[in-house]
Amino acid sequence: MNNKLHINKLYALSSENRKFSFSLPLKNKIRIGRRDYIVQLKADEKYGTYILWKNRKYPVEIIRSRQNKYEISFNDISYTFTVETPFSLQRMKVLSSKKGKTEQESVTAPMPGKIIDVLVREGADVLRGEPMVILEAMKMQNEIQSPVNGKVLKVHTKANTNVMKDDVLVEIMVT
Amino acid sequence: MKIKKILIANRGEIAIRIMKTARIMKISTVALRTAVEPNAMYLSFADEIYDNSEDVSEIPVFLDIDKLINITLKSGANAVHPGYGFLAENAYFAQKCIDNNIIFIGPSPDAIYKMGNKTIARKLALQAGIPMAMGSEGNIANEEEALAIASQIGYPVIIKAASGGGGRGMRIVRKTEEMEKMFSIASKEAEKAFNDPSVFIEKYIENPKHIEFQILGDTIGNIIHLGERECSIQRKHQKLLEEAPSSALDKRLRKEMGEMAVRIAKTVNYSSAGTVEFLLDSDKNFYFMEMNTRIQVEHPVTEIVTGIDLIEQQIRIANGEALELKQGDIKFKGWAIECRINAEDVQAGFAPDPGKIDKLSMPTDSYVRVDTGIQAGSSIVASYDSMIAKLIVSGKDRKEAITNCKMALDKVWIKGTKTTLPFFRMLVRHEKFQNGDFTTAFLEKDLDRYYFNSEYEEMLAAWLATSLFVKENLEEDSINVDFENGKEMSPWLLNKRINQF
Repeated sequence: MNNKLHINKLYALSSENRKFSFSLPLKNKIRIGRRDYIVQLKADEKYGTYILWKNRKYPVEIIRSRQNKYEISFNDISYTFTVETPFSLQRMKVLSSKKGKTEQESVTAPMPGKIIDVLVREGADVLRGEPMVILEAMKMQNEIQSPVNGKVLKVHTKANTNVMKDDVLVEIMVT
Repeated sequence: MKIKKILIANRGEIAIRIMKTARIMKISTVALRTAVEPNAMYLSFADEIYDNSEDVSEIPVFLDIDKLINITLKSGANAVHPGYGFLAENAYFAQKCIDNNIIFIGPSPDAIYKMGNKTIARKLALQAGIPMAMGSEGNIANEEEALAIASQIGYPVIIKAASGGGGRGMRIVRKTEEMEKMFSIASKEAEKAFNDPSVFIEKYIENPKHIEFQILGDTIGNIIHLGERECSIQRKHQKLLEEAPSSALDKRLRKEMGEMAVRIAKTVNYSSAGTVEFLLDSDKNFYFMEMNTRIQVEHPVTEIVTGIDLIEQQIRIANGEALELKQGDIKFKGWAIECRINAEDVQAGFAPDPGKIDKLSMPTDSYVRVDTGIQAGSSIVASYDSMIAKLIVSGKDRKEAITNCKMALDKVWIKGTKTTLPFFRMLVRHEKFQNGDFTTAFLEKDLDRYYFNSEYEEMLAAWLATSLFVKENLEEDSINVDFENGKEMSPWLLNKRINQF
């Protein structure tokens, strides 16, 4: 990376838009109030990979990493972060102010399973909470509902097909 | 003892639970090795293993009546314990055992059939004068009939599968317009899960507590109850946490409901361990819901507060012995809570997350009991349920049990799949849970998030993400590995990186 020498800070942005900043060079210490606490990444046969912090072990796993995006499991909870430099963060701000807010919503399968029924057609108007797809998983039928009021742009599935978790089922134009 | 050798027609933690008691009673056991789980933990608890792993038919052997009878006869076992799930509540299987001179460790086929058919069970309860929610007298033929009855008893109503149980085939209907869709979903789900599309309708009790009574009956007509369990913490009718006793009951109500539970059991001359489920509304009115004619997943909390081994009682009753315990002998001591630690992703609506369990260690404190069929290296397979372990915690009272539970949850270490642990960590910290102020609608109505993380956990995760970024992009000697899209990083590779820090 060309900017190596100029970067003095990194930001980890969570998927819920919380920002954590870390000074470079990155230390294995985190400051809480006036005290620094040592954070260590360790691994052994009994526990696998874990973070040791304030005398407690937390299980960690890197679930996925792709470019600057990291999905991390920490104490059995998943977090997704994008790590940004001051430059890339600035660029993001400029881009997002130009683009305006997105008006499209993709509805995905919350779990792997089989589509039993599709209740909406392309072009149909849907209301928030309206069932759109019936997904069967572990012998339970689940209604997949629209998260927004809008118009169905595209239906990506049909009855009797198997879907994976996070497969896009329906795209909706928010109205 | 007539019972010499028991075939365990089940797997996982309940198979182990049964074999532990059988061993104490000096009865030998036979477990089934299957192709799906040829190295499962439960096999190591059996005196003998019947190898059925060559059998790759689509129906699991635990559901194949003829095969199970054959295997039992071949193995020389003279009794079968069905555990829970699979064929535990199948009257035909119980009858087949009897026809082949095999002792079925459970109630009579007649009791299983009558209580298994919710329409018959309702009729029996009605005749016995048990309080019940208003509902259809029999099964509902079509949605027109459903609409007519619903307008008679008033919305909301609940559609239930006549042959149902375990929450499947149940749908709540709040208004007329929803009936058509819900009727069809419930009926389809019932057909799929129980091979029987028939459904019936009941008045839906809003925000009740789920209270169930443990019953023991012998073959000569003695029936007693072992107090209640509260199982109100559920998601879509699937129980997540159970406790005994319930903070909603006092002595008087316990006595009254217990007597009703015994009365229900008497209508079918119940002989074995069984459970009578009630709904309790906010005015402390209770309504009979159903009777489960098997050992329940949550039986350990009753064992802890009563000191009675329920599997032992089941075996003795099936052996023809009279109950030694009288109602007056049953004393309750302390409090017990069971958390069902399942391989599910609480951040994705409790979606099942099957996979291999890489690491597993459980607390060993004196106030903890762990019932599990999983160890490090085991797999949670999609064809069975997603249970990893039952964490059962006790205390002298509810407050102490919750405190102990909080500590125990932090000592559970599971790697490989996502689990329901973050949910329980949140729950034990929730004020309403601590105060006993919750109903079966708790997850839907009172919770806006289903997991707990401490103030600093997300920050530590952010630090980890940042340090990986530094490693990959900024350091002079960085390997600059560009991961393929979505490729998982093995802990092994991660370890290599840690060592470079």
